[in-house]
Amino acid sequence: MISDYTIGELVCVCISRQVEDGEPLAQGLTTPLVMAGYLLAKLTHAPNVVFGSAIGNTVCTEWAPLSIARIEDIWLGQSIALISFPRIVCDILFGSQPKEFFRPGQIDPYGNFNNIFIGGSYERPTLRLPGCGGIADVTTYHSRVYFYVPRHSRAVFVERLDFLSGLGHGHRLPDYPGPRYLVSDLGQFDFEGEGGRMRLVSHHPGVSVEKIQKKTGFPLALSPELHETPPPTAEEVRLLREEIDPLGIRELETLGGARRRRKLREIIEREQ
Amino acid sequence: MINKVTTLAEAVKLVRQGEMLALGGMTLYRRPVAFARELIRQGTGDLTLLAFTASFASDLLVGAGLVNRVRSCYFGMEAFGLAPMFTKLATAGQVRVIEETEASIAFGLRATLAGVGFMPGQGWVETDLLKVRPDVKLVDDPYSDRRYVAFPAIKPDVAVIHARLADPSGNAVLGGNLAVDWELSIGSERVIITAERVVDKLEERADIVGLRVNAVVEAPGGARPTSCYPDYPLDSAEILRYVETCNSGGFEDYLREFLKG
Repeated sequence: MISDYTIGELVCVCISRQVEDGEPLAQGLTTPLVMAGYLLAKLTHAPNVVFGSAIGNTVCTEWAPLSIARIEDIWLGQSIALISFPRIVCDILFGSQPKEFFRPGQIDPYGNFNNIFIGGSYERPTLRLPGCGGIADVTTYHSRVYFYVPRHSRAVFVERLDFLSGLGHGHRLPDYPGPRYLVSDLGQFDFEGEGGRMRLVSHHPGVSVEKIQKKTGFPLALSPELHETPPPTAEEVRLLREEIDPLGIRELETLGGARRRRKLREIIEREQ
Repeated sequence: MINKVTTLAEAVKLVRQGEMLALGGMTLYRRPVAFARELIRQGTGDLTLLAFTASFASDLLVGAGLVNRVRSCYFGMEAFGLAPMFTKLATAGQVRVIEETEASIAFGLRATLAGVGFMPGQGWVETDLLKVRPDVKLVDDPYSDRRYVAFPAIKPDVAVIHARLADPSGNAVLGGNLAVDWELSIGSERVIITAERVVDKLEERADIVGLRVNAVVEAPGGARPTSCYPDYPLDSAEILRYVETCNSGGFEDYLREFLKG
């Protein structure tokens, strides 16, 4: 067994374990933890997955290590099909419903989420966020909505959203099953509680349920099968560090402030 | 073949104060940066900026005060963080956001291409987007009891698209990342192509046909520091420098230096 792994690597491994062989996988902009998790799945139990990338709007069955400056080499250079973004949105997403992991700016107990602004009002927010991409478009019907939260806090897990731009459970939408799964740096969750309420399914090694409750802005429901998250294997950690992401781009999502700036600068210098 | 080749300075004059300007490319990839530089020099303002995803070039236009309204589904710098000037000015309420999503832009452009007032889509229902976009209505499906969102047609006044190659009539090769550029090139009132190289005859098939193109400008390196795949990659050190300079209050200095380029 393994004792040496980062929390980002554990999140990648959790994402990888949610991937089924042969399914289509979508990734949004700047989600390296998700991409690393998808690639780990491809190199272990799911060799036949198909990637749809928001970089270049391409379909790929091959892969390459994570990159920032040369990200198009992966997604354009190895693509089997080039597709315009309007065709992805209007002609392809509904029919293929690729699994996608969204990163919410805020999320409520029923998996409703917000990527528009935090605090204040819509006209005068405390912080304007980049926007919701295609989230509001697909969370009315999509059958494979998943979440990841690299830095679990009461600022993210809130009782009431400042803005609703992604739908969770509890809406009058007969075709929408709602979000299925969430992984954070503290644990894994489902939405099988009453009315689609989020429940803690596993706590990561060394993280107490009390700590997760303290960092969650609403009362936490617990799954009857609550357990400890199985840690990564030595081979999973090796694949992430040596094959999938030697530059450590995945860790940009778990770091903040000056440490993130240092890491970003280091990655960019190494890629030059 | 009609020769539409002109200079950047002349092409920028196709954009008028108060119009809707659409930028081709995606986020940090194949953006018309040389065009943005000349637009800032000429100071054409009060613009509505349409960018499917907005990043470096859009942030410069917003920071330079040329943009009053932003229509985009993502305005950020990807791994480099938030778009500094957009975030600052939108948070201060000094630039108005017309909230868009992938579908509202994609269906909106397609409505224009089809010559209809809207295209129906499955998104947005029950979200707060309908509250901040009261102009967007629901429509009853005449064939069932369902209701859809009627995404209104979007027709940019001017689209500017950076290409790898173009011929003098505006047929152009994009290099793989197709973005929303076909729709912009057919659905906009006026179209400007800037290209790494303008050649007499294209040796490969065109991604953009020049039917609606008004101006063709040769602009080598015209997407830098964004990428022009496969000719050059994203200049990540320069994007990082932009973000860090702005975050320490240096946008005006950066802009002054940028305009000399």
